[in-house]
This record gives sequence, structure tokens and C-alpha cells, in this order.
Amino acid sequence: MRLRRAGAIVGAVAVVIALGACAPQAPPGASTDPEADGGTLRIATTTDVVNFNPLIGNSRSDSWVTGLMYPRLLSVGDDGSKQPELATGWGYVDETTGWYEIRDDMTWSDGRPLTADDVAWTMNAVKRDAPSGTFTGQLTNFESAEAVSGTRVEIALTQPDSSVVEEIGFWGTIVPRHVFEPEGSVADFANAGGDDGWVGAGPFVLTQVQVGQSYTLERHEDYPLVEGGRAEAARVVYRVYPDINTEILALRSGEVDLIANSLPPAQVDRLADTDGVEVAEVTGLGYSHMTYNMDQPDLARTEVRQALAHAVDYDAIREVVLQGQAVSTLSSPLMPVLTDYHDDSGTEYEHDPDLAGELMESAGYVRGADGRFPVSFRMIYPLQDPVTSQWAQLVQDGAAEAGITLDLQGTERNTYLAQTQQGDYDIYAGNFAIMDDPMTNFALSYLPGGAINYTHVDDPELSALIERAARTFDEEAKIALMQEAAALVQEEVYDNVMYTQNLYLAHSSEWTGFVSKPSELLSLVNPVSIASAHRVPEQS
Amino acid sequence: MSIALFVARRLGRGLVTILFAVTVTFLLLRLLPGDPALAVASPNTTDEAREALLVQYGLDRPLIVQYVLYLGQLLQGDLGTSFTQSVPVVDVLLERLPWTLLLTVTSLVLTVVIGIPLGVLAAAHEHRFLDRFVQVVGVTGQSLFVPSIGIVLLLVFGLALGWFPIGGATGDNVYGAAWYGSVVAHLVLPAVSLTLIQLGSYVLTMRGTLIDALAADHVTLARANGLPYRRILWKHALRNALLPATTLIGLQLGFVVGGAVLTETVFAYPGIGRGIYEAVTQLDFPVLQGAFLLLAVTVVVVNMLTDIAYGFLDPRVKAS
Repeated sequence: MRLRRAGAIVGAVAVVIALGACAPQAPPGASTDPEADGGTLRIATTTDVVNFNPLIGNSRSDSWVTGLMYPRLLSVGDDGSKQPELATGWGYVDETTGWYEIRDDMTWSDGRPLTADDVAWTMNAVKRDAPSGTFTGQLTNFESAEAVSGTRVEIALTQPDSSVVEEIGFWGTIVPRHVFEPEGSVADFANAGGDDGWVGAGPFVLTQVQVGQSYTLERHEDYPLVEGGRAEAARVVYRVYPDINTEILALRSGEVDLIANSLPPAQVDRLADTDGVEVAEVTGLGYSHMTYNMDQPDLARTEVRQALAHAVDYDAIREVVLQGQAVSTLSSPLMPVLTDYHDDSGTEYEHDPDLAGELMESAGYVRGADGRFPVSFRMIYPLQDPVTSQWAQLVQDGAAEAGITLDLQGTERNTYLAQTQQGDYDIYAGNFAIMDDPMTNFALSYLPGGAINYTHVDDPELSALIERAARTFDEEAKIALMQEAAALVQEEVYDNVMYTQNLYLAHSSEWTGFVSKPSELLSLVNPVSIASAHRVPEQS
Repeated sequence: MSIALFVARRLGRGLVTILFAVTVTFLLLRLLPGDPALAVASPNTTDEAREALLVQYGLDRPLIVQYVLYLGQLLQGDLGTSFTQSVPVVDVLLERLPWTLLLTVTSLVLTVVIGIPLGVLAAAHEHRFLDRFVQVVGVTGQSLFVPSIGIVLLLVFGLALGWFPIGGATGDNVYGAAWYGSVVAHLVLPAVSLTLIQLGSYVLTMRGTLIDALAADHVTLARANGLPYRRILWKHALRNALLPATTLIGLQLGFVVGGAVLTETVFAYPGIGRGIYEAVTQLDFPVLQGAFLLLAVTVVVVNMLTDIAYGFLDPRVKAS
């Protein structure tokens, strides 16, 4: 009996020792006591990081986490203007040559200096390998880059393009050549850390990944873009939650300090009134819109598009669905946030169902006995976006009031993307999260073959204006051309841009010092903001 | 029939089932609307770049060619490479598998440990208050939906009482012995959710079969011989009644796996289920194919083991 008991005790001890050996150990480079040295900032997100290679990733979580490691040349201000980040200056040598001057005090976390060679190599590698990220899309008119000194990069363009220097600067993330080059194609390199871990030049560097639940980044002790030359917090942890509602629970329970995703309109006031939670407003840099597919013969007629535009109650959408948290664009793709470009003398399409009916009649449509015109249009929208799903209903109701039948077809994301790509819709409803550069936006949206030309518009007059603006390097002349193009878009209803949504982010009142940047992509989670955030000092 | 032949037949059936599951998964994924290149590419990607991605993924080839190549890969033990993460599917699954195993095994054990005694309790008190109460609990459990239970548990025990974490499987940067405490704390709410939705089946099955067993001739004989009721219940009736419950473990496994997908999603538990959810949104075919294959193999193997165990426990099955 005693022997059996002794055996059981020995067995139990062996199990405990074995379990202890199996438990994870702290990775190299982890702070020994982060709480004593700035603390840990815990941030909630709703998706896993899919790619640690910033040249491939497209998801929000990918951008947020890798954005803390890999710098951009330029950032963006609340008015959409570009601001220095890694680059201190930028411009054009001539119409087909651009330049960037970069900081000389940035280093990679392995101690190597970040030089113009890293910048030029990154651009050339992206052009060569065409990874699926946003950077590739900016390189259409880019030919090659060259480091002409340790801090200066010059880029050769295939044709004059007055926007490309800023767009590459903003969308291009710079990676360490000495880490990426030996791995071959940048389109295939997973950048999963490997034996030596990650190498970055941002305020933090990834040290630990717990797939499906958290990403831990430790402070890079050399980040000259913030006061003091390094981030305030010792550690940042991104935690994954299934949706915004669970993120809010986690914030309220103290499990996280900041929610990276913007709040749904209905939650903003509620959270603002919650103890221990603060809500910060972030400027939106995108818009919500409807486009009318001109491949559909009825919608190819201007009066029909105008009728549909006048059938929408825009105020109701902004006040009811968005609870007043949106700004009218005055039906222009040049949003008010783009202060240099926006024309505030414009007017929004008036909500006037009678006028909409008259426009249909002037186009030759005759109402039936039920008061309806003998046409119907199928409108697609993404079901995962509750705001668009709600206003789609209001748009349908407004059209019905004017006698026009809309069939709503909300679908999950992949179906929606496929329908959009195939032009399988009459009316497309959706939104763009960030439209920082009007020139690029117009080229993609309104030139024939543009990647987001969802109207399928091919108007020679509009195309000529856009192409002239692209070759115009004088800012005032360019703005005048863009405003002329925007007026044409509005008059012909090539796009029905309805509002820019203001964004609201929630964080614990125990943290402060965030630096807001426009759009959900940057918001409070941009690298300078996260590096500047710090705990509120305790009151003595 | 010899044991070897019996086992060989079950193995053969299992392999056919797995091939069927592999084929159906392969075809169903390709019937999904959209394409993986659209799902991962940025909106400003050109058509040429999207097509290049499809070529890179091998999706430009005829379906039959893709299928044959996929089967060839499988036979070599290669599950392919994730479209979105550019890493082997095996690595993606192995990172998540331990959490799913921990969650499902814990909830299965809890279900059996709680469900069988509750079923016995109900059968022993047939048509009395306790029986009716257990039946109501069982039927309610069967009608519950994981997300509904999950939200209630999170609100009550996560937010209001603060006893358990809101999401994940461990805390941040917890190491050594403390890591185990963190794992247990994170496991409680998902495991309770998954247990609650399965419990009803076990309780009601156990109750029904035990009531039948208690009416059997050998039990009547035992009663007539004056054996104590507790001994009759636990030794004579329960042994026979346990056979259907054994089968239920195998049958329920598919249900547990389905429940795990929802449970892991609601609680941000980093298992295969949550991985499937994310892979569906990204149309990551190789990861989905690998995950469904893994789940199919698990269900088939457990069912096969249940069949074989049943064959040993009840010689009539083997004979048939």
C-alpha cells in the first residue's frame, strides 16, 4: 500500500515536471518587466494577421501589425496632404523623374542603418515580383528606382505623372534589403520570423505570435520619429476577437486598452458615457457611394441616373443610419476633407421623388397603373457592412416613392467582390476606406479600364480632363482640372458619392497621448500614435 | 466472421468515406462564388495581376487536372501551401490543432461525466419530478445555439463578474506554470458552451436505454432475488444501457466538430474551427481542404474505433 502511494506521488511529481518543461518560455528579446518600463498596450483587432510580409498583406490587421515594424516614406494629414515620415522631402526632378530625401538616423532592429538602398531595392523588387498588396497597384507608371546617395532615391517614370511620387511614398512600405533579398521573390516570402526573428525599423518589432489569438511586439529602442527617440510603451500586444461587440466587452472588462476597429455608429454615444472608456474622433478619408452600371441600357441614359440620384433621401441616411456621424460630400468625389480640392460652392442632389419621376418621364418611360415605371434595377451591397445594408433599404424605399423598382441583393463578401469584378449588377453600393489622392482615385474610377470604374464610364471629355490633370505639375492648375472633372462626374451622375463617415475609436481612459491620423488604416494605431501613447500618470 | 476481417472491412469503409469527403470538399470549394485572387488582392489590382495570382495558385488549370494533382499531393502526404500565408498547410493546421483537441476532448469528457449520471438519475426516478426536471434540462440543452450561450456566458462571467477572460486560449506573455492556469481559465467558458449543447443527447439517450434495461427480464429476476436496487441499477442495467451511449460518442463527434467551429469563433479560441472561419473569408482552398480532411479523418477514425469497440463489447454486432 505504501509502495503504491509512493509510486503515485513520484508519478504526480514527474507529470508536474514534464508539464513545466512543456510550458512556453519567454522569447529572446522580450522585456523582463514591461510594466516597470512604460507598460504593455493591448489592442483588439478582429482578424488574424495573414501576412507578415507588408508587401503582400492587405487586411487591416496585417497593415496595423506590420506598420509598427516597417516604415512608410510618407504619412497623411487630416486634409489628405502628405506628410514626412521616413522621407523628409520629395518632389520631381523633371516630369518623368521623382525624388525622395530620407532621414539619416533610422536603423533596423538588428543594428544596420536604414538607407536609400533599402528604399530603392524595395521599390524595384515590388515592380519586378508584383506581390498582391496595394503597393504594386501604385507602380503602373513606375519604371525603376536608384539610390543616388545614402539618403536620396530617384525614381524613373514611364510617363509624366504628377501624383505618383506621393502615392508611392504613402502606400509603399520599406523593407530591409538584407533580410528580404536572400529570400528570392518578395511575392512569395512569408516573412514568418524564422530562427533569427523579425527585423524592423518602426517603433516596435514582433517577437511572438500566438496564431489566432495574439501578436506581441517589443519596443525598438531607436525610433527617432517621436520625442525621446523611442516609444513610450515597452510592449504592444494585438489580441484577436471575433467581432466589434466582443472587442467592446474586452475593453470594458479591462482585457484590452484600445480597439483598433472603428465603432459602429450606434455604439459611439453609449461607449462615450461608459466609465473608464474614452472615445476619440478620427477623420474619415474615404466615402460611401453608389455607381450605376452604364453597360445596362436603361442606366446608360443620363436622365435615369439623375432620377435615381434624386430619389435618395441623403439626410435620412446620414441622420438615421449614421446617427449624424457623417459629412455630405455635396455629391462630389472631391470630399470636403480634401480641403485643397473640394469645391464648397457645389450642391448635393436634391431629394425630390417628383423630380425623379419627371426625369424618368422625360426619358420616355411611362408609369403603369400601379404608378411604377416598367423598369427595375438590381442593387448589390455587402452584407457584412451593417451601415450599407441599412441605407440600401432607404435607397430602395426612396426609389419606390419615385416609381422606380430596386431589387436589393445583399451578399457575403466574396460573392459581392465577384459580382463587382464581373460587372454583375445594375447598381453597386459600397464604400472606399481611403481615397487619399484625388488624381489616382479619378484615374482608377473614371478612366476606361480603371480598376474601380464600377460605372463602366467611358466619357472622352472626362478622360481628357483626368489625363491632363495627371500631367499637370502646377498645383493650382491641377486642382482646377480636377474640379472640372468632378463637376462633370456629378452632372452626368457617373458616381453618386453620398458621404464621408467620421470614425470613432474607443480606448481605455488609463492611456493617453494617441496621435490621430485620418482613415481606419491609420487612425490611432499608426506607428507614431502607438509610439506616443502612454499610461495616464497616477494621481498622488 | 474473424476479428481481422471485421476490422479490415471497417478500415475499407473508412477509406472510402475519406475519399468521398476529400472529393466533395474539393468540388464544393470550387463552387463557391468569387475567386481566391479577388479575396486577397487589393481593389486597385489589375486584371492581369489577378490572373497571375490564379496561375500561381494553379487555379487556371481544368478542374479534373487540379483534382488529380491534389490527390497525387495527398498520396505523398503533402497538403499544399496556404494561398494567403505562403506557408505549408500542415504548419497552419498543427499550430491550431492542439487547441481544438483540448476544447473538444474536454467538452466530450465533461459531457460523458455529467450526462451519464444525469441520465441514470432520471431513469431511476422515472416520471417523477427529478426525471421531468432532467428531461427539461436535456431538451433545452439540445435546442440551444452556441452563439447565444456564448454571448450570455461572456456577459455574465466575463464582463459582469470578471471571473473568466473574454477571448483567446491563453493570456499574453504568460510563461511557465502560470501558463497552465491561464489555459484553464480561457478554456472554461468555451468548454461549458460546447458541453451544454451536447449534454441533452447523452442525458436523454442514457435515460431511455436505461429505462428499457430496467424493464428487461434479467433485471426483473434480479429484483425477484432480492438484490439491492442500487446494485441492480449500476451493475445489471447500466452495463447494457452503456452500449448505445458508446455509439453516441462516435455519432456525436461530427456534431462536436461543428459546434467547435462556432464555439471557437464566438470565443476567439484559436483552434481549427476559427481557422476554417478565417480561411472561408479568404477562400484559402488549401487550408480549407486540409482542415476538412483532418476533421473527416478524425470523425471516421473515431467512428471506426467505436464500431470496433462495439464489436468487442457486443458479439452480435461482429457476427452480423
